[in-house]
Amino acid sequence: MSFLKKKDKMKTSAKTTDEAIRLDIPEEEIWTYQVEGLAAPHINKPFKNFKAKKILLTLVILVAVSLSMYFSIRTVQNETFEYEKNDTGYTLTKFSNTGFIRELDIDYASSISYDEGNSDPETNFNVDKDNSIKVTSVGPYALNCDGTVKVINIGADVEYIDSKAFYSCWSLERIEVDENNPYYCDIDGVLYNKDKTVVMNYPCNHDQYLREKHGISEELNRVTSTEEYRQKIQTYVVPSTVETIGELAFAYVNLREIYLPEGLRRVETLGFFKLHEPGEWSNTPSLDNIYSYKADGVDNTALTDKEALGEIYLSLPEGLEYIASDAFSYNQVLSYLYIPESVNYIGHHAFWDTVYKEGGELKGVTEINVAADEESFRKAELGDQWRPQYDYMLFKKSVGIVYSAERAK
Amino acid sequence: MDENKTGGAVGKVKDFFTEIKTHWNTPAEGKYVPYKEYKDVVVAVGSNYAGSKVLEYIGFWSACYLIMHHYKLPYLTFSVIGILNMPLGYISALMWWVVCDNLGFLPKKTERKFYGVYVGMMLFGISTILFDYSLLFNQSGTFITYLNGLEGMSATACFKTFGTHFLYTGWVGARNIFWRKKLLPKYGRYKYSLYCDVVPKCIMVVLIGWLPVYNIPDVATRVWVANLLFATYNVFGFANNLETCTKSISPNLQERIYVRSYPVKISHIFHSILVIILPAVVGSLRHEWADINLYRYVIPITFIIFATLTMLFAGRIKERIPQPPIEQKPQIKFWDGMFGVLRNKYLLINTIVGLIDSLGNGMLPLVTILYLYTFRLSGLPYSLIVALVSFAGTPPDFFAPYFLKRFSYKQIMIFYQLSRAIGNAIIAAAMWFCGDNLMVCGTICVAVLFFMEMTKTIPTTAGHDMNVRIGDYQMYLSGERLESFAGIFGWFTGPITSFVGLLIPIFLLKYGFNSNWEVLFIDASRRNIIVIPIIVDVIGFALMTIPYLFWDYDSKKQNMVMEVLKRRAQVTEKQAQQAGTSASGGYLG
Repeated sequence: MSFLKKKDKMKTSAKTTDEAIRLDIPEEEIWTYQVEGLAAPHINKPFKNFKAKKILLTLVILVAVSLSMYFSIRTVQNETFEYEKNDTGYTLTKFSNTGFIRELDIDYASSISYDEGNSDPETNFNVDKDNSIKVTSVGPYALNCDGTVKVINIGADVEYIDSKAFYSCWSLERIEVDENNPYYCDIDGVLYNKDKTVVMNYPCNHDQYLREKHGISEELNRVTSTEEYRQKIQTYVVPSTVETIGELAFAYVNLREIYLPEGLRRVETLGFFKLHEPGEWSNTPSLDNIYSYKADGVDNTALTDKEALGEIYLSLPEGLEYIASDAFSYNQVLSYLYIPESVNYIGHHAFWDTVYKEGGELKGVTEINVAADEESFRKAELGDQWRPQYDYMLFKKSVGIVYSAERAK
Repeated sequence: MDENKTGGAVGKVKDFFTEIKTHWNTPAEGKYVPYKEYKDVVVAVGSNYAGSKVLEYIGFWSACYLIMHHYKLPYLTFSVIGILNMPLGYISALMWWVVCDNLGFLPKKTERKFYGVYVGMMLFGISTILFDYSLLFNQSGTFITYLNGLEGMSATACFKTFGTHFLYTGWVGARNIFWRKKLLPKYGRYKYSLYCDVVPKCIMVVLIGWLPVYNIPDVATRVWVANLLFATYNVFGFANNLETCTKSISPNLQERIYVRSYPVKISHIFHSILVIILPAVVGSLRHEWADINLYRYVIPITFIIFATLTMLFAGRIKERIPQPPIEQKPQIKFWDGMFGVLRNKYLLINTIVGLIDSLGNGMLPLVTILYLYTFRLSGLPYSLIVALVSFAGTPPDFFAPYFLKRFSYKQIMIFYQLSRAIGNAIIAAAMWFCGDNLMVCGTICVAVLFFMEMTKTIPTTAGHDMNVRIGDYQMYLSGERLESFAGIFGWFTGPITSFVGLLIPIFLLKYGFNSNWEVLFIDASRRNIIVIPIIVDVIGFALMTIPYLFWDYDSKKQNMVMEVLKRRAQVTEKQAQQAGTSASGGYLG
């Protein structure tokens, strides 16, 4: 009974009526006829208090627009340097380039002042430092997609630099660290922790610095490159002290060969992400080969003496344990991959998009060689889609694994 | 028993075909659209809709793959450009409304003045592009240093962007008067623009992919040149005009709903096929969505095919709004237009809903992030998931007439907002708590997206239908639909929404999102970038239910309004004939 009542109630609550409606509207009332329950038409006749209403409407809109503009302009206004207090000093949380700052010091709190009378926007400003306020830390994304800064100078008091602090700084050539800094150092413009166990940031445009250093004026690409150019500009030897490749450490850099030490234990997230050729070739991957070496005491990051590296072998070093997510993603010209037995963790998408099909032929990492047998390898923690995938019968297929593989010579 | 059943079914099918055959060329009594036009609607709307959807891959916004992978412009820069364009937008909107709501037919003197203003704007715009006005100011002064400090901009870029908006506004305004006047009497108010825009649009689609503007190294220069290129591209439209036209295909409410529920829905199959094929083709490109060949070949070829089909069938779709002949229409004066729309209670409710909806402005497109950056989908798997989710909306749409009869607009819209709130809350929870487990998180997200798509289509149809009804109601109130003057509500909400729309981009910047989308590959950053804005959106959806509690426009009122409109059309046409004046573009219903 109650159900029926409810149903009936719902039927009456439905708003649609299809019944034909006929209204008898005299010709002279066509512009004024008011439908019941709706406002009356108002066509070609004056509004009451027309002037007052116009003024009120205009004022409301003017005030709304002005307030919005004011608050919006304030919101998008960037201070060049933004800091936050921390336990030991200040953290640089955001740097917004004026458009012309090419060298950035991170040591004391800074601000910008302008020279009245100087009309050249490239030189009419000064970076003023307050020596009483020490910058001791650099927060995540403090520099984000800056395309102007070429050199960053880290002061003696900086104790912490987030791994994402200098994210996508496309023009960054060098990071120089004050030699009195107890926490960090640099090797020829590449950022390390003090004891050189972690490589933290190989600047995106470091090849430009190397070209200037070696007196090479022209930027060469994969097609025009010479053996000398490849060795001096596009090859990097990670020092033998290094145990960890930091998060984003080599992301987006222009390197074709990397030499890793056998003491390396970890490659963090996006550690070798999307290494690519410069300029108009930026969609072309660059990393051809990863090599590992056995020698100790290597601190020369240029490949000047191959013998100093001792025994050299292809691909990832023995002793490597941890490969984080997207560690080697998008390196499509990397052709050989060998995972040593010591690896016990591979993050999701670790080798994503390192294989592709061209003219029906598979190129890049077409198979993954694993030192361990299948049973042992399964004990390792493997993230989703850690293997690269290629187009197969309209779908995607992961590349195969060769277990108990011998390392290629 | 079975035989009877079969006989009944066969009989029904036979009746159906007989009905179609009988009324193939002439509509049944009380109806206005012959079935032949249903067939034309399928092809015309299908091509137009698919073509306009292809254009969604091109746009001056951060989520466009061309901007994302090639131009790499800072996220906040789009908001900065929005602020720069805002004041001029207010002024130009005034003129635009007067032109549009008078269908392009202005008194001669006013028309000349309008042309003068528009040409002046164009000349000023061109001059800002040719000369650097920022040099007229003190380079060390607050004004210029402020402009230089804006994200992705410089003082020079700001002036050129500002000037580009003048050029764009003047150009579009002058074309609007010229083409409306020339083409509207022949092609009707909804589809005339296709005829003047389609060729230049095709050319611009090709140019967008081939002009290597994205290779400009300086970001500020890249910003203003890209802005100029996309502004020129936007001068020419290719919206889903023919589907809009079907909203007025019949004065019979039920027939309108039938046309929108069957031929229009079936026409969307063109797009459904496209969303399967296009990503599969993209998947075969070496760099997939990041491959420039997508914009050089795939998009232009696809668009030109659909644009051609659209133009071949556009002429066969008719508008049938009961309206007086164009010459007998009441002239809408500016203030009458403004106050006219302000009297429309239902536009006001919609405005409040839109205002609350702006809480989510500035959010990144969730589905793009989910599919491309979380699950790394591409090729056919991407196509299939997209098709599966978008297909979810199709079956319920065939039941739209039933739901629209059974439930009131108020009930449907409240359900819609609540379902969005719940769905988004589940997605946020899944990404926050099990974002690392792609299988679990992915399954939950796709299931919820499926549910949300399924529950979206009927409210969308109801919304479209109600918008037409609101237009009818406005016509009853003011003698014209005042669709453009309805933009006055945007004047009140615009300042608020543009400010609110800045908050999420600034927030995202804090979590690392700028011009490089690949920050979304960093799990911790991606989680913050997606989840926090979704939570804000959930609150917005919950609040949006409140204004709908005050909605009371029902079919009975609508039918009475239509009666008034029909009567007006009859009387004015009769009067025109008696006076011996010309009467074009009218429709009696």
